[in-house]
Amino acid sequence: MAGLSISSVTKRFGETEVLKGVTLDVADAEFVSLVGPSGCGKSTLLRIIAGLEDPTSGDIAIDGKAVTGTRAADRNLSMVFQSYALYPHLTVAENIAVPLRMRSLSAVQRLPLIGPFLPGAKEQRSEIATAVQSATEMLEIGPLLDRKPGQLSGGQRQRVALGRALVRDPAAFLLDEPLSNLDAKLRVQTRAEIAQLHRRLKATFIYVTHDQVEAMTMSDRIAVMMGGEILQCDAPSVIYEDPSNIRVAEFIGSPKINILPVELANTEMTLFGRVLGYITEAAQAGIYQLGLRPEALKLTQAAPVVTGTVAHMENLGSEVYAQIALANQTSRVTLRAAPAERRNLRLGAEVGLGFSLKDGLIFDADGKRQRRVEVAVTHEREVA
Amino acid sequence: MTRDIWKHLILILGAIIVLAPFYMMLSYSFKSPGEIDRGTGGFFGAQEMMVDPRCVKLRDPNRDEIAAAAPQYPGRSDSEIRNAIMAQAEIDCSTRPVVFNYTKAFIEAPLLRYLLNGLIVTASIFFIQVLVALPAAYALAKLKFWGREAVFGLVLFCLLIPVHAIALPLYIMLAKVGLTNTYVALVVPWTISVFGIFLMRQFFMTVPDDLIDAARMDGMTELAIVWRVMLPTAIPALLAFAIFSIVAHWNDYFWPRIVVTGSRDLFTPPLGLREFKGDADGSFFGPMMATATIIVMPLIVAFLVAQRRFIEGITLSGMK
Ligand SMILES: Nc1ncnc2c1ncn2[C@@H]1O[C@H](COP(=O)(O)OP(=O)(O)O)[C@@H](O)[C@H]1O
Ligand SMILES: [Mg+2]
Repeated sequence: MAGLSISSVTKRFGETEVLKGVTLDVADAEFVSLVGPSGCGKSTLLRIIAGLEDPTSGDIAIDGKAVTGTRAADRNLSMVFQSYALYPHLTVAENIAVPLRMRSLSAVQRLPLIGPFLPGAKEQRSEIATAVQSATEMLEIGPLLDRKPGQLSGGQRQRVALGRALVRDPAAFLLDEPLSNLDAKLRVQTRAEIAQLHRRLKATFIYVTHDQVEAMTMSDRIAVMMGGEILQCDAPSVIYEDPSNIRVAEFIGSPKINILPVELANTEMTLFGRVLGYITEAAQAGIYQLGLRPEALKLTQAAPVVTGTVAHMENLGSEVYAQIALANQTSRVTLRAAPAERRNLRLGAEVGLGFSLKDGLIFDADGKRQRRVEVAVTHEREVA
Repeated sequence: MTRDIWKHLILILGAIIVLAPFYMMLSYSFKSPGEIDRGTGGFFGAQEMMVDPRCVKLRDPNRDEIAAAAPQYPGRSDSEIRNAIMAQAEIDCSTRPVVFNYTKAFIEAPLLRYLLNGLIVTASIFFIQVLVALPAAYALAKLKFWGREAVFGLVLFCLLIPVHAIALPLYIMLAKVGLTNTYVALVVPWTISVFGIFLMRQFFMTVPDDLIDAARMDGMTELAIVWRVMLPTAIPALLAFAIFSIVAHWNDYFWPRIVVTGSRDLFTPPLGLREFKGDADGSFFGPMMATATIIVMPLIVAFLVAQRRFIEGITLSGMK
């Protein structure tokens, strides 16, 4: 088990710069998710950590030792691939044993027919068998040991791939979207199992996903990647509640955060020409963006901040999401309501919305979070 | 419905055209020379006892032998003794045509030797072709290196070169180093098969990159990946290539004819067929066809055994 450190890694494929200077430190036994939209360079970064790809510049260190130039096999990392990448001609048991056989048996000892009779081979082989045995017990795939990958379901293949990864006790696990080929139900189940596995092994995990739910539920920290950069790396709650960038705020959270344009002038913050509050600290006047999570919006009849009509509703049972088309605006906002409030929400009904500015996140025009803009909440005393 | 009937009619017609020579070959290998000449006897021939004229001729006694046999025929003239010996010879030399044809095939020429030569040559060629083609195909399909596309272009270009065009230079080169009339001359020119490289490269393209990366993570070297991962997954394609390669070199007449000039010990089966060509009595079609049948039999058996996987390989069905 070991920590990992990635410092200013860049990667170019020809003219395109896929990674633009990524720096990330992963502590020993930490579970870090790399999350971001498709094509943002997550897999490339993971492959660079694994040693399957060379960075154009920058360094990787495992347990404090620089590994640039070290061959993938010698970094002692395990990788689980999206397609599982099991050897189709080997049985489950043989698949899981491959990394151990490659490591502990010499080339001669691995030979078929004569290999098993060479001195020392017998003990090695029984050690390997024991290790395979304990891995399969942990993953509950004992009955499958003699099958070929072609005879397994997706979920079973996934477990075998995990088994092959954990059997050799690696410095860290690298997982590249390991759940994306599973159906929704199995995904939820396996998600929990991987998280448990992490707690049990106390190993370092780097987990690549484009699914924010996976990232939110499993990780110690989430690194949000976009366009070849890590925008923010923090605990899931911090990423959600205190994003440092509007792209992070928009990527994490479902339904998406509502963004409304606000204007700051003469210490007044206005939304659609209406004063929301007064800033307490000097900030540059201009256009800002106000981010409001769906749960920050409240249905209100008395003194609503904005009004609109219900354009679309999604009832999930435990909660209701309503899209409200704002009066006199082209934009829509999404509101999360409790089921009890459903009777106020009919398609086409006029509703008023209020919110507390304390729940709002303010970003500048470039999308950078403006933490210095403190707003004195005053909107309850307003002109109607 | 009618379209199906047409389809089948056309396919049957095609099958007849393809099978007709084999039918003739097999039928002739059963018949007596007379039946072959007259075109009678149906597929199997009547299988009436026939006399092997050559065998009889060999038994024709000379003066000494008649003298030696005289005590057995007391009081007969020399010509009577000769007639008696000849009558006995005709009885001894009469066989069923099918037995005659097939025994002749093995006696007239050292067919077993030729078959063994064929086996040695085709097996060595195929073995070395695989040894060369698999790593080459792997590099062309899965490794990134400068000039890869150009090298693959050259491979495609080499597919266009007919073997006959380079036969003469090859022969001269082999002659200069004194390798004609050796197994080496029969094998070495064929050991690099661009077709094999091309076929395997196309198959390797369908192998997922993740599988190779997984093997690298597991500690395999590039060569280990070729033999431990790519080879086992490529068995169907390899079988397809094996059929092409083995059929081509087992049946090759052209190249062995060029480089084997002296010793019959190096004859491959097709060269062996020549033994029956242009015989003075001109009636050796039966044994010749029997030889031909024996020569093609290993290929047909091999194909039938590997048929299903062979078709898999031809269609280059990759894996998921
Ligand atoms: N071997 C390669 N050659 C050229 N471009 C590549 C290569 N690998 C990845 N890319 C490009 O790099 C970008 C990032 O890819 P990837 O890391 O796979 O994204 P992600 O895993 O986040 O979806 C993509 O635009 C992809 O087209
Ligand atoms: Mg990816």
